[in-house]
Amino acid sequence: MKKTITLLIFGLLTTLGFSQEIISGTITDTNNVPLGGVSVSILDTPKGTVTDFDGNYEIEANSTDILVFSYIGFIVQNVPVENQTTINIVLQENTEQLSEVVVTALGIKKEKKALGYAVQEVDGESLEKAKEPNFVNSLSGKVAGLTVKNSTDLFQNPEINLRGASPLLVIDGIPDRTTDIWKVNADDIENISVLKGATASALYGSVGRNGAIMITTKKGKKGRFTVTANNSTMFQPSFIKVPEVQTTYGNGNQGSYAYVNGSGSGTEGGGWIWGPKLDQLDPTTPSGYFETPQYNSPVNPETGELVPLPFISRGKDNIENFFRTGLIQSNNISVDWGSDKASYRMSIANVYQKGIVPNTDLKNTSFTVGGSLNPSEKFSINSSLTYNKQYTNNFPEVGYGPTNYLYNLILWTGTDVDVNNLRNYWREGEEGYQQRHFNVSYYNNPYFQAYEYLRGYNKDNIFGNANFEYKITSNLSFKGRSGVNVYSLYRTYKEPKSYIGYGDKSRGNFSLQDTNYFDITSDLGFKYTNDLTEDISINAEVAYSNYYRNYSFHQSATDGLNFPGFYNLDNNSGSTLFGENIVEKETIHSFYGFVDVEFYNAFYLTFTGRNDKVSTLPENNNSFFYPSISGSVVLSSLFDLPTWTSFAKLRGSWSRVSEGKIDENNPYSHIQAYEKGTSWNGTPSTYFGSSLLDQNLKPETSDAWEIGTYLRFFNNRIGFDFAYYQSRDYNNLIYSPISETSGYNSLLLNGDVYKRKGVEFTLDFAPVRNDNFKWDTQINLSQYRRYQEEIYGGKEQTENFINVGDRTDEIYASVYQTNENGEVIFENGYPVADPYNRYIGYDEPDWTYGISNNLRYKNFNLSFLFDGRIGGLMYSTTNQKMWWGGTSPGTVNQFRDAANNGESTYIGTGVKVVSGEATYDVNGNIINDTRTYAPNDVPVNYINFMQTTSNGQNKNYHYYKETFIKLREVTLTYNFGKTILDKSPFTDLSLSLVGRNLWLSSDIPNVDPDSGTDNLQAPSTRNIGFNINAKF
Amino acid sequence: MKNIKHSLYILLAFLVLSCSKTEDLQDDENRATAVSPELILTNVEVSAFNNISLSAGLASRYLTNTNGVNSNQYYNWQRSDYSTYDDLKQVSKMIEEAKRTEIEVYQILAKFFNSYFIVSLTETFGDIPYLEAINASEGNYTPAYDTQKSIYIKVLNDLKSASDQLIANDETILGDVIYDGDKLKWRKLINSYYLRILMNLSKKENVAELNIKNRFNEVFTNPSKYPIFESNDDNGALHFYNIQDNRYPLQNNNDLQTAYYLEESFVERLQDFQDPRLFTFAEKKPNGNNLPDDDFNAYGGLYGSGDLNTNVSKAVNGEASRVHPRYFNDPENEPSLLISYAEVEFILAEATVRNWINSNAVTHYKNGIQASLNFYNISETDAYLNNPKIELSTGNEIEAILTQKHIAMYLNTGWQSFFEQRRTGFPEFNTDGTGILNSGNIPKRWMYPANEATNNGENLNSAINKQFPNGDTINGEMWILK
Repeated sequence: MKKTITLLIFGLLTTLGFSQEIISGTITDTNNVPLGGVSVSILDTPKGTVTDFDGNYEIEANSTDILVFSYIGFIVQNVPVENQTTINIVLQENTEQLSEVVVTALGIKKEKKALGYAVQEVDGESLEKAKEPNFVNSLSGKVAGLTVKNSTDLFQNPEINLRGASPLLVIDGIPDRTTDIWKVNADDIENISVLKGATASALYGSVGRNGAIMITTKKGKKGRFTVTANNSTMFQPSFIKVPEVQTTYGNGNQGSYAYVNGSGSGTEGGGWIWGPKLDQLDPTTPSGYFETPQYNSPVNPETGELVPLPFISRGKDNIENFFRTGLIQSNNISVDWGSDKASYRMSIANVYQKGIVPNTDLKNTSFTVGGSLNPSEKFSINSSLTYNKQYTNNFPEVGYGPTNYLYNLILWTGTDVDVNNLRNYWREGEEGYQQRHFNVSYYNNPYFQAYEYLRGYNKDNIFGNANFEYKITSNLSFKGRSGVNVYSLYRTYKEPKSYIGYGDKSRGNFSLQDTNYFDITSDLGFKYTNDLTEDISINAEVAYSNYYRNYSFHQSATDGLNFPGFYNLDNNSGSTLFGENIVEKETIHSFYGFVDVEFYNAFYLTFTGRNDKVSTLPENNNSFFYPSISGSVVLSSLFDLPTWTSFAKLRGSWSRVSEGKIDENNPYSHIQAYEKGTSWNGTPSTYFGSSLLDQNLKPETSDAWEIGTYLRFFNNRIGFDFAYYQSRDYNNLIYSPISETSGYNSLLLNGDVYKRKGVEFTLDFAPVRNDNFKWDTQINLSQYRRYQEEIYGGKEQTENFINVGDRTDEIYASVYQTNENGEVIFENGYPVADPYNRYIGYDEPDWTYGISNNLRYKNFNLSFLFDGRIGGLMYSTTNQKMWWGGTSPGTVNQFRDAANNGESTYIGTGVKVVSGEATYDVNGNIINDTRTYAPNDVPVNYINFMQTTSNGQNKNYHYYKETFIKLREVTLTYNFGKTILDKSPFTDLSLSLVGRNLWLSSDIPNVDPDSGTDNLQAPSTRNIGFNINAKF
Repeated sequence: MKNIKHSLYILLAFLVLSCSKTEDLQDDENRATAVSPELILTNVEVSAFNNISLSAGLASRYLTNTNGVNSNQYYNWQRSDYSTYDDLKQVSKMIEEAKRTEIEVYQILAKFFNSYFIVSLTETFGDIPYLEAINASEGNYTPAYDTQKSIYIKVLNDLKSASDQLIANDETILGDVIYDGDKLKWRKLINSYYLRILMNLSKKENVAELNIKNRFNEVFTNPSKYPIFESNDDNGALHFYNIQDNRYPLQNNNDLQTAYYLEESFVERLQDFQDPRLFTFAEKKPNGNNLPDDDFNAYGGLYGSGDLNTNVSKAVNGEASRVHPRYFNDPENEPSLLISYAEVEFILAEATVRNWINSNAVTHYKNGIQASLNFYNISETDAYLNNPKIELSTGNEIEAILTQKHIAMYLNTGWQSFFEQRRTGFPEFNTDGTGILNSGNIPKRWMYPANEATNNGENLNSAINKQFPNGDTINGEMWILK
């Protein structure tokens, strides 16, 4: 080894000895558009550079050197230096073949034209500037078929759907079965490759059944030693969507309100916001306004009674006054260097997110090292290791209920309460024991909640991989790879005394949870490549793979606290602590292999096969094999197509993938056993679960096929990718419902058949491309559908009323009875509930789309992205509760005023039954109907009506259209030119103004439909900031 | 090259180390596949005895609700569910584990629990599967429906045989949170419950197969063989404890504190009777706050069938009493009753009136009232017991007994007092208010669960057709009521 190093140094010295010239020049394409990012290297040396934004480069070289100019999609040119100092090159587009290389399953790089399935790539650079707290949010709208439903809540996972199912996350070829999207820092991502179908990811086995998001992290690059610094600072100064509540009426019920003691009962109005009108003039009071006792009323020392205070809308700005400007700050520094023999990269990253709720934040720090060694031509080894820490002392609870901030701030707080008056959150003389609030039975003081109810989270992740390849002969290699995921997670829940949960006033509690996780995936195999003839080449691998996972969880909790504010299990006031522990182990042993065959640079075929033996099924059926085949034909290589066609390819694939795990989160679901029951005064109990297991469980299987085209026209200026796929899911491991009278509500078995299908279009084109101005557009569009093909047991209908052949996303809701004209039937002024659920629409959107634009003018670069969804329904808890509770602006009307005066004036639109009756069969179909109707004419109290119906019959039972369009991202970047950079220490410097989540247009009121669900989501923030990226 | 080989060996070693056979990971370390039967008994007991229900409180005209038009109060409810079949399954697992461990006593107790659960189901719906039920493990996923009559016959036979078998059994009952293994008390419970079942069948006293009178007499006249409850100590009661998940179910209930008020006719009846239990059932109305706790005028209620608007304004104006704060503040409060000594005495009183047994109806009646007053820790009982308003006089016996039974079952004993009223019509539940729904009818049952139509449609359909000419409605009259 020593010798080699000496030789290396000697070689370097001798090289330095020769006279070197600085060669410079500009690279353009045939249209004279400068090409940035063209790789310029010296043949047979590690030296190299890339052209800047204007296509300029500089490189030191000898007259004997040969410069190599290469750029994806263009023909490589080799130019001897000789006596030249300026070498300008016009690169020819490679119209015959598109040699884009993409990362496919197991990290294997393949030419895009050879793929028989759909893969779409997202360049890591596009994630660098417009920062989100996690990289997945940044993928919204960028990939056809990939739907990211972003949560508005702090530190909540977005819902990720790839062709309607949840994809596998793969980091550097190793599946991350914990799917922790927070542990990968966006600055470390070189590239994301989305493998859309089962075929694409079949080599991962069952976990890859739903496609994969493949992340390739940055590695040390050959060439100069580079330091990169990236700072991104995003503020959340305003909201694009926040519930708008009425400010006309305050707390109370039936138009009256008087605070007594915060119990909510009696004159406090049961926690409703159906109270008196605010800001009503009353000349008889000292203030001139209507006055009533309130929670902050002083006590009259003489009478001991609360002094009435004016009932005015002082809390109109509660949202602005309580929430603060959020902040997402990302910093990253990395160094990298590489030569022919070795490369190295180290990166340190920190993301700090300050939540809009006071006293909430999230910190995320990563440290990554990675490198490669090529000690000999025959042997190479790569590895990387990341330590990541996610930690916060407090992040908000989500979901509807008293633990939700909006719930306490506006949904269930009348405008008569000013949040500024709540900052002092302990009741005087009861510090530590009783919070101070206008209602201490149903609601929490939001400041009390923010500063006293604390949810801590501390997760340490270590993940990494090592792989090697040893060339036995020039055709045959021995290769291996091993990757580990380790984490430990410590969570704490500190609940102060008097904290309100649903129907529970806390006695103070402390609970902690410890999770330890370890998994390892190892592959070992052989790789064979051979060009059999000039026109036929073959590439094959076989491998053995093993996966092992070990998960343990422990939780302990107090049953009340002795004294407040001391959060330790020792402070338990109950007779015992509550504890629980879980241990789970799982393993999969697999053999897999594939063969790629290539003929005449035009036909490509790939066969794969894999056999899994899993621990998560009974032993008689736990080993199973599944194959796939895919291929493509490059038409433009075979035929003389019109000249405006630059490239044309047809592709197709078929795959079968089986899955042997019943429940993603429990490897023991195939074992029938007792569950722990509630112990009674210390006497333990057990119970038996509600599902019965089939004794012959076997893996569930999907057969999927896909066809597609990839076309490029007009010198590659227009590209079009189309995919149609279908999948038949059978032997599904389902909990098939059975009559509960049989003792179980379901049977776990292989049954039901589903068909999934969808289309995806990607269109990219460059309307303008000239010296100074370049405009690129990309449009993604996709549709996904799932159908019920068979129901186990030959039933006509599922429990959710889906018939064979129907879409599985049909929504059947609990509705009111209607007559044959669709008019709602009333009895005594109230709508009559229908005992049978009725169809009201589809859940899934018809189309999901994204439109991105990139405009480059000289050193400026502007990119913006619109995305959205069309069609589909989503249920909105926020809207339903607003109508129910009295905060919806729609409740401000004359009926409400009348109700406040005790009058019943509201007549619901519909009919009442005058005579006759209807009889139904068991499925709710009318057998006999003798009813006659008259218009409903029974006036009722408007407040009673809303409290009974939530206005459901007029609001489609609060299922709203999900359709929306969003301005997802705008980035304006200035890349500093060469003249400025030369005078600076930087080799590259860019400054960007960035906005995300800027504008929204949607049908649904009060909530952002982006997340696809609404269970009282946090307000949707507008993110605005800047990014600085510098290379030294 | 040596280094390369070494690193290869290390990598290989890593791979081999990580291997674990699939066969070795086929055991769930977190759950037991077999347990001792007493662990299931505890679960079954809690499930059977814990029956506190606000819905029953509304339907039985003890309470009213002001948070909108409540279907239990205004009598337009629709479906109930079959979750009680899961309890029956737990009982069958208890039998299975008892057979495995060869302990008979749990199999005997199982007869009682099976009877209790199936009766609560048939009282709710009418005909339901029993003989073929809980047989999914044998492949029967669509059990046939049994008639209510055949279910009751089986229940009577099972209860009797359980009682008989317990006499001779000398095994220990573990995991018993009701009687702590006291077998005499179990026999009393089973026999007392047997009497309740016979009384449930009062409209069928002439059906020969049931042989109600003789069965009743057999128990009543054989106290040594068939002991029944003799005091509140014998009550089939589940006590609550100030331990997480063991607290009184209504403790901390916000709605109970803000939207539930006592029912007016119930309050007026207690006022009329000068019944001291009112002071332990209810809190003074806000308007009566300055009156002493034992002033009957300090209490008020809302009219069950009354217009919601009127009720809400009365509540807002402080004219209605909430339940006594102990119901939402005290984690132990009072036990939940499956069947009480008081109820047994009322059953005996009614049986005497019905000439099923030869006994003194007044004594049983007063014993029942006395037991109920004692249950609420009221020791001064003479005045009330001698109050002419509650006197058992000829012609009104059934009404008086059932009225007292109704008072004694306030917020305990599940839905029993609703079922008693359904059987006898006493006490009258008001439906004359303007807010009433269901065309002014008190529902007689619940519709079958919706998913049964998908999962066992054929059997369900034929059961409905046999019983209810107007289909599956809440007003259909089941066999036991005909």
